[in-house]
Amino acid sequence: MRLQQASASSIGSKILVALTGLALFVFLIGHLAGNLLFLAGPEAFNQYAHALIGNPLVYVAEVGLLSVFLLHVAKTVAGVLANRSARPTAYATRRWAKAKNPRSRKSLASTTMIVTGVFTALFVATHLATFKFGTVYEAAGIRDLYRLQLEIFSAPGYVVFYLVAMGVILFHLWHGLSSAAQSLGVDHPQWTPRLLVLGRVLSVAIAGGFFLIPIYTFLLSRGVL
Amino acid sequence: MAMTVTLKVWRQAGPAAPGRLETYTATNVHPDMSFLEMLDVVNEDLIRAGQDPIAFDSDCREGICGSCGLVINGIPHGPDAGATTCQVHMRRFRNGDTITIEPFRARAFPVLKDLVVDRGAFDRIIAAGGYVSMNVGGAPDANAVPIPKDVADRAMDNAQCIGCGACVAVCKNAAAHLFTSAKIAHLGLLPQGEAERGRRVVQMVEQMDAEGFGSCSNEGECEAVCPKQISIASIARMNRDYLKAALGK
Amino acid sequence: MTLDSRVPGGPIAEKWDRRKFENKLVNPANRRKYEIIVVGTGLAGASAAASLGELGYKVKLFGIHDSPRRAHSIAAQGGINAAKNYRNDGDSIYRLFYDTVKGGDYRAREANVYRLAQVSVDIIDQCVAQGVPFAREYGGLLDNRSFGGAQVSRTFYARGQTGQQLLLGAYQSLMRQVDAGTVDLYPRREMLDLVVVGGQARGIVCRHLVTGELESHAGQAVLLCSGGYGTVFYLSTNAVNSNVTAAWRAHKRGAFFANPCFTQIHPTCIPVSGDHQSKLTLMSESLRNDGRVWVPKAPGDKRPPAQIPDADRDYYLERRYPSFGNLVPRDVASRAAKAVCDEGRGVGETGLSVYLDFADAIRRLGADTITARYGNLFDMYKRITDEDPYQVPMRIYPAVHYTMGGLWVDYTLLSTIPGLFVLGEANFSDHGANRLGASALMQGLADGYFVAPYTVANYLGGTATPPVSPEHDAFKEARAASQARIDQVLAVKGSRTIRQFHRAIGAICWDYVGMSRNEEGLQKAVTEIRRLREAFWQDVSVPGDRNNLNPALDYAGRVADYLEFAELLALDALERRESCGGHFREEFQTPDGEALRRDDQFSYVAAWEFQGVGARPALHKEPLVFEEVHPSQRSYK
Ligand SMILES: Cc1cc2nc3c(=O)[nH]c(=O)nc-3n(C[C@H](O)[C@H](O)[C@H](O)COP(=O)(O)OP(=O)(O)OC[C@H]3O[C@@H](n4cnc5c(N)ncnc54)[C@H](O)[C@@H]3O)c2cc1C
Ligand code: HEM
Ligand code: SF4
Ligand code: FES
Repeated sequence: MRLQQASASSIGSKILVALTGLALFVFLIGHLAGNLLFLAGPEAFNQYAHALIGNPLVYVAEVGLLSVFLLHVAKTVAGVLANRSARPTAYATRRWAKAKNPRSRKSLASTTMIVTGVFTALFVATHLATFKFGTVYEAAGIRDLYRLQLEIFSAPGYVVFYLVAMGVILFHLWHGLSSAAQSLGVDHPQWTPRLLVLGRVLSVAIAGGFFLIPIYTFLLSRGVL
Repeated sequence: MAMTVTLKVWRQAGPAAPGRLETYTATNVHPDMSFLEMLDVVNEDLIRAGQDPIAFDSDCREGICGSCGLVINGIPHGPDAGATTCQVHMRRFRNGDTITIEPFRARAFPVLKDLVVDRGAFDRIIAAGGYVSMNVGGAPDANAVPIPKDVADRAMDNAQCIGCGACVAVCKNAAAHLFTSAKIAHLGLLPQGEAERGRRVVQMVEQMDAEGFGSCSNEGECEAVCPKQISIASIARMNRDYLKAALGK
Repeated sequence: MTLDSRVPGGPIAEKWDRRKFENKLVNPANRRKYEIIVVGTGLAGASAAASLGELGYKVKLFGIHDSPRRAHSIAAQGGINAAKNYRNDGDSIYRLFYDTVKGGDYRAREANVYRLAQVSVDIIDQCVAQGVPFAREYGGLLDNRSFGGAQVSRTFYARGQTGQQLLLGAYQSLMRQVDAGTVDLYPRREMLDLVVVGGQARGIVCRHLVTGELESHAGQAVLLCSGGYGTVFYLSTNAVNSNVTAAWRAHKRGAFFANPCFTQIHPTCIPVSGDHQSKLTLMSESLRNDGRVWVPKAPGDKRPPAQIPDADRDYYLERRYPSFGNLVPRDVASRAAKAVCDEGRGVGETGLSVYLDFADAIRRLGADTITARYGNLFDMYKRITDEDPYQVPMRIYPAVHYTMGGLWVDYTLLSTIPGLFVLGEANFSDHGANRLGASALMQGLADGYFVAPYTVANYLGGTATPPVSPEHDAFKEARAASQARIDQVLAVKGSRTIRQFHRAIGAICWDYVGMSRNEEGLQKAVTEIRRLREAFWQDVSVPGDRNNLNPALDYAGRVADYLEFAELLALDALERRESCGGHFREEFQTPDGEALRRDDQFSYVAAWEFQGVGARPALHKEPLVFEEVHPSQRSYK
């Protein structure tokens, strides 16, 4: 079987969704780690950002990340459309089978993947516009992202928007991580249940980290800290 | 202790005809009746009244042939876990209840009439590779290859699939992954099926897609309605087999 | 016409080899020129179609279900016998042969039974190679159990779903041939007529059950694998769409019907609970290993079972058959249950059931052991009856389960119409007057995998079959006849539903041609069947039209055939003035109420030739000769 053919099949597509989803998740971890340097003060934070932007390899990484993101979006959106057309007539009455048998993993998170995904895409666009393509301040000859962040998160509206966005991503990952494991064929009588829990713990940890940043920045900007 | 229930039943004259829910009253429903026996009685009354009875499939009426399959109040095979439609009894309902009955819905399962759908797509998936290629006459002694009991048991867990299609009916994507993976796991677990393992998964998945089933969102609703409680671990296994085959291993 | 069983000469153990050697063969390159029509997708039909497809014939396979996998064979629970002697407990082909002939109460053809026992071992090999997940032991080898009171452990099983797994194995092989293009599937088709051209079976007429269209299909041979006729009794353990239509229509075209009165009634079924009931559910025979069967001593004792002290209970099987006790064979246990209910000692609301009590076993072995052995059966019982067998005794009653009678076939499975082969439960061949547990699955697969492929080749290789088009006059005539019958039944527009008639014919058969029969009752049955048949054609109400999916119309056709067939059933029972196996004539019993066989007069197969509806069919007798196993009286005291 040619790989191209395999990647167009339902299972091949889901394997790609899982791989890209996991790649984005790994990126999120890295991104969070970097952003937590904000807590260490302006110099450290700006130095880190500069080192990152200054590295020519970053363009390669950005293109890679963008392709991964776009592939994830393309495969999931196409999948959702195909899945809709697999049931042209809707049921008049619909209930979750979970009601009769707890073995189902269906959750609000699993049923709203496309909603949380699209919201995430919109968020990412805003996020890039405000930061990557936002006002360029300078400090000590390099870009002062610390100041930009301080400024932006001094507005409570922004903080709330970010918190909501992080909540949404948490939701996406809540089902997403365990789903990816299943898509990639992980099944083990002992390890799969643990993996499910691990996925949720990681989602919460990531989201928690990201929650911290806007709140911390807001409090800092208001001089509370 | 006869009960009366109101039924809202999907009526559709033929594959191309439009359908709609019609309301009927079933009186004299005995709690010991099975759900299909209740429909038998409703049909008797319809015939006496000169109306067209409600068409539905059933045969064994003991949960093994996979013919029956109705969506009862929004759940395929109704309220009992690990049961088929024909195993549901009216004592699960109360006097005065309203019960909505719809056919299994999927593009790959076109409605033929009322509650009868065409599940031929499942046969074509099996034809694409759900077998061991061996001819009569060529078999070695049955005990020539020992198979550990737990492996044989797991193969049996999967082989129990009755091909009812409830997994498709419940899935928001109308995916046939549980059905397909059950056969792939059954044969793939056994030494007899090993030789064709890669080829089998590729061909069966290709057929499954061609039939117009959706893809899997890993929600596990299929496992919850499956009358044989086949686990979605089999789907993971199918994904793994597929990945291996795609990478040429 | 003389009946030639075409049993080859020579010692019994060599007959089949000899037949195979003498058979004509068909050149591989020529096989695809032969079109073979197979009707029925159960174990017999699916295995025959798959193996003929593998050989390269062009096979057309018909069935009434939406998929071949749904045939009634899927429901078989207990297991399949084979003389593998994996247990080293003294089993052998000869012993399986012997047990089957004896179990059939010496009314089967020895040579057929011997061949069945011979190929039984190949069946298991074949099924395992297909991937049938039989139960295994920790060492990885196949597990066996003893079934239905057999003295050796020769039953292979796959949980309680042996029939399902065997059928799925055959179905998978079949679908492989569909994929390879050797087998064409025709699902949702009901065979309505057999087409005979120049004395040979050359095709069928069937109704497409979705479009209503009548189709003609021509071929060089027709294999009928359409199952048994248990549903003539309305309530039975059979699937609700099981029918005699295909066999009956073939009978009307000249195929003899053999031993229709040999029907099997299974003792352990969930009893009837009301008029609404559409079928009865079998509870595995294995329950009798630990359950004790009893009824109150006094007629009309309506106390709940827990309040009836031991002194007031009658463990009637243990009392009457001290050595076999609760494990007496099916026919004996069934008749005994009927007898106590007839005495007014039956239990439950209807008085038509007996207790199967596990209280002693639970006390002795603990509830856990009982759960391990029968947990799924207990759950099934509870689901259906809403009673908990751990707390109160189960209630059971006999129900129609299997039909030994069927179309007459010779040793090569050929009926009295050249080119019409009959396989599986639809033929009469191997079980005599009573079938042993776990041997129907064996027979269906033996016929399909290992007998028909040889004998069909022999027929095709040795017979000129000039081409016949589906537009041949014989096809036109058959189509017109089927059409006329459909139109006729739709035109009645009476006031009674089809189910009412089915229930009525079932009640007549159960009351007079059921577990226990007598001259007067059978005479009465014949009269009542005729009356009911007339009433049907004047007063049945069949809704809908013919060019559509119309389950009611299909059902009407099947019931109409049962109304004709039932008369033959009663006649055969009337004619057989002896008791044997599942056929118990009250006039012929030993002083202590056991079946009395009359070998001097009735050691024959009764093969009936159709002479017209309502006309007395002609009886042909195939004498049964026992060279190996000498008939004796069965005793279980
Ligand atoms: C509950 C139960 C449990 C059993 N358990 C056991 C057991 O443990 N061991 C054992 O050995 N036996 C058992 N038996 C008996 C055994 O299952 C059957 O005898 C056997 O499966 C019959 O197989 P068959 O292929 O002859 O017919 P079936 O499986 O009955 O198949 C008949 C086929 O014919 C088709 N057909 C019928 N009429 C028409 C028509 N007019 N036109 C076209 N197609 C038609 C149907 O679609 C079907 O495909 C059991 C039976 C029952 C009822
Ligand atoms: C931060 C970015 C994102 C991460 C970390 C992420 C992660 C994941 C993961 C791990 C999965 C599970 C894969 C699987 O089921 O096999 C998934 C599924 C999904 N993602 Fe994302 N995702 C992100 C962005 C998006 C975006 C922008 C969309 C927009 C369309 C989206 C839509 C979906 C959908 C619809 C699914 C479910 C697919 C299905 O059910 O079949 N995701 N995502
Ligand atoms: S997997 Fe379960 S739900 Fe799906 S067809 Fe098989 S038995 Fe039915
Ligand atoms: S009718 Fe056979 S499973 Fe329900």
